[in-house]
Amino acid sequence: MNDQSEASDEPEPSRKRYELEETGFNEVPKKWRKFYRIWEGALDTLAPNEILCPVCKVVIRSVKEIRVGDRLYCMPCMSRLLVVEAEDGTLTTDVLY
Amino acid sequence: MADFDPHAMAEEEFLEEVHSFDFWFQAVDGYLRDRSYGQVEGTPDPLMEDGEREVLITTLCNYCVAETAALDASSGLVRLAPNRHAKIFLATQVVDEARHLEVFLHRMKELGVVDPEGEIERRANPNLLRFKKRLLELVDDRDWDSAVFAQNVILETMEFTAFKAHLEGADPVTGEVLDGVIKDERRHLGFGENDLGRRLVTMPENRSRLAEVRAELDELVLRTFEEVQQSAGVEPSQRLTLGREYIEAVERLGLT
Repeated sequence: MNDQSEASDEPEPSRKRYELEETGFNEVPKKWRKFYRIWEGALDTLAPNEILCPVCKVVIRSVKEIRVGDRLYCMPCMSRLLVVEAEDGTLTTDVLY
Repeated sequence: MADFDPHAMAEEEFLEEVHSFDFWFQAVDGYLRDRSYGQVEGTPDPLMEDGEREVLITTLCNYCVAETAALDASSGLVRLAPNRHAKIFLATQVVDEARHLEVFLHRMKELGVVDPEGEIERRANPNLLRFKKRLLELVDDRDWDSAVFAQNVILETMEFTAFKAHLEGADPVTGEVLDGVIKDERRHLGFGENDLGRRLVTMPENRSRLAEVRAELDELVLRTFEEVQQSAGVEPSQRLTLGREYIEAVERLGLT
């Protein structure tokens, strides 16, 4: 993950890691598929390593717990995203052009 | 797995990957393999009542107008593309749009339409025809930003949300066709917003021109899909979503 807060590729000790499995998402080449899943709508609960793409509404998944300042890529719609804190304290994303 | 973490890619590496023909080929292989005209062989296709069939044919006619507009415009835009990424991506969009037109025409034939082109002429929404004419004028004028905005942001976002709403209540075969098209549209609308977003960072003066294009064109498409959805019986609450996703996109681009 592109992470502004990290000086190296090593995750911080407190950041939980995730083993990703296939979700049935099939809109990108096979090697990237486990990093995305279909959003099930407003009642869909996102895990700490997941965030919704504001452009195409696909759930983006990471091997690490997502935190403010992380940069993520949405391959299905080619968007580059920066994780920010929303007014209600939840995590959301800004699109980086 | 670290070797294949997309979020670890450098920015230029990411852009090279997602705009490539190779990425497109492997992506569509994931959801179109073993499908003929976007359909899985053996999917049940029960006989429709006359009224339901007529509504679906009118809807498909308008989808064909929109897809033809995007096919003609995106093929023209290949030559205008300001960089290799955009040129190659648009070549893949041309193929996508041609496929969309083909699968919708094929579905109309399955519904018993003998002359789909003639039926499109009879049933096409006038607002959508006006939008198509204006979009092609922007391409002919070599106005890259305006044409990409009209096609990949206005039209593609509207199609994306309209197709998703239609999918909710579609018959099994039409649903399968729409499902494949929606997956393509995700790339198209994402390309438009991100390409324009990057250009507006370096050329913010273009924003006023795009706001003019928006004022001229978005109402035509909003009205078209509102009318098409109304005739298709889509619930008013779902129709609201149609406009909301589009407005979110133009707000992110600062075009409000």
